[in-house]
Amino acid sequence: MCRVAPVLIAAALCATPLLAQDSVIQRMQRRADSLLRSWHEVERLADVADSLEHFRATAGSDTIAVGSLRIIANRSPLPLREAAARAWPAIDSLYGSVAADLAEHPYIFRAVDPDTNVRRDPLHVGLEVPWDLDVAATVSLLLRTVEAPRFDRALGDWLGTVLQPAAGSRADGGAVFLQLVTAPSTAVRNCFLGELARCEDVLQVRDTTGLLERWYATPAEREALVTGSFAYYFGRGGTAALLQRCRQHHDDACTDLLRSLSLGTVPRPLSAEARLLLLREALRAGGRDAYPRLVASPEAPIGVRLASASGMTLDSLVIRWRGSILAARPAPLAMPWWAGVAAMSWTAIFGACALRSSRWRL
Amino acid sequence: MTAQFRAVLYTQWKWSRIIVVLGTVGAFAIPLLSLQGAARADRGALQAQDLLRSVQSWGTLYPLLAATLGLLVAIAAWAADHRGRHIHALTLPLPRWRYVLLRFGAGFALLAAPIAAVLIGALLATVTATLPPGLQAYPLALALRFALAVFVAYAVFFAVSAGTARTAGIILAVIAALILVQVVASMANLDLNLLETLQAALVFGPGPLVVFTGRWMLVDV
Repeated sequence: MCRVAPVLIAAALCATPLLAQDSVIQRMQRRADSLLRSWHEVERLADVADSLEHFRATAGSDTIAVGSLRIIANRSPLPLREAAARAWPAIDSLYGSVAADLAEHPYIFRAVDPDTNVRRDPLHVGLEVPWDLDVAATVSLLLRTVEAPRFDRALGDWLGTVLQPAAGSRADGGAVFLQLVTAPSTAVRNCFLGELARCEDVLQVRDTTGLLERWYATPAEREALVTGSFAYYFGRGGTAALLQRCRQHHDDACTDLLRSLSLGTVPRPLSAEARLLLLREALRAGGRDAYPRLVASPEAPIGVRLASASGMTLDSLVIRWRGSILAARPAPLAMPWWAGVAAMSWTAIFGACALRSSRWRL
Repeated sequence: MTAQFRAVLYTQWKWSRIIVVLGTVGAFAIPLLSLQGAARADRGALQAQDLLRSVQSWGTLYPLLAATLGLLVAIAAWAADHRGRHIHALTLPLPRWRYVLLRFGAGFALLAAPIAAVLIGALLATVTATLPPGLQAYPLALALRFALAVFVAYAVFFAVSAGTARTAGIILAVIAALILVQVVASMANLDLNLLETLQAALVFGPGPLVVFTGRWMLVDV
């Protein structure tokens, strides 16, 4: 018995922490379960609140239907029907047959007094719109707020902006032209000079393996990126020494730091506007069914989707995009011809005033 | 007439030669300085934006120089007459308008030097620079714009200088009246912005100062 007792005591002492640990895990598990239950409860309450708010926002409102557009709004002088009639062709031509889905996602507007001093209840569903908007402004509002149907996350992440049916203007192309010329990136410059592969790189429509090195092709660019945009991020901890070496123009250090970043965190060489123009080009080339083809297979690579939407090869599409950007070159030195005529006229007018001055100084 | 013009030109040159020489040197230097560093062939993609920024920064000096030259040459053209209380002009066997025309023309002739300097400096700068692809130089357009700005500035200040003290007083009184009306309107909370309207009339549309506004770029896309 005396021999067994110490063994039992030792076993009991060893088991106590295990039991304690087990109870901690169980306690945490119970808390997690409780939190999950609370979360589900909150979600249900939020759904109810949302439903009630939705009902409140649409109660006593009229529904305007034009094509597949559905607009729920209170009665007001707002020219919604006229605006919808004008906006619908633009929306329909962009989204094609998928535009029919818009009927399931109606606009909810509340026309309000344009006087901002008037007190009104807060609105949680839909948009408040001053009722004095004219037709053009209302059309613009409808086009700006339409939700692209079946617009998947992969497409949104690649695009980096929203796809709206507003017609691509020449100014957009001009802005992208400026980027092609002035962006601090050799890849972008080579795209401007006509290297198709570089265009596909900077538009992010090709294989993304080693893309960072292709985006930031020279040591100077890598150093500028790391020491400029990520100096704070790399300046502490284990990467501080590498950052220091990078600052001393050691490209291996800059490259190592660059490779440690994920693609999504690094600034893209071209803005979202460039990709938006490529997408619009694809949709324009592909005709009415381009958008349905674009959103048909969300899991496919973006280059394949664009090619499918446009009905041409990706290379042809990128060539077409580059051509449209080059054609949108902004006008240089914006002094119009009439400004020269005006300057000469004013010179003559002031000269004539001087000629009429008096010789007598009394 | 030619001899008279030559005589007036000579006297005006004597009075304003320092202004003209300094202005010519400055006008020649600004385009060269604005493209400094662009002559290096090893410039990478990082520098295209910096180059445009530098050109834009230096570009603010062109309208400033044009206005300064116009002002100083116009003042110099009438300084001797003001000092002599315009007695000399009375003794000349010339109608007043012809006398003023000679002075006006002589001023233009003197201002041709800085305008030519801008043109030569801009041409030289663009010939020696290696511009990134996509950027282009506009030396002729810049020189033409500078010439127009110099002419407008000179004409404005020449007309003011040629006038009597009474004329200058009337102009000042009108400006003061505008400011007074604006102040009163602001105090009375009236929706009236005379100064903004005046500014818009001067610098927008076919206003006299429209040539001074906007970007003055020797190099642009």
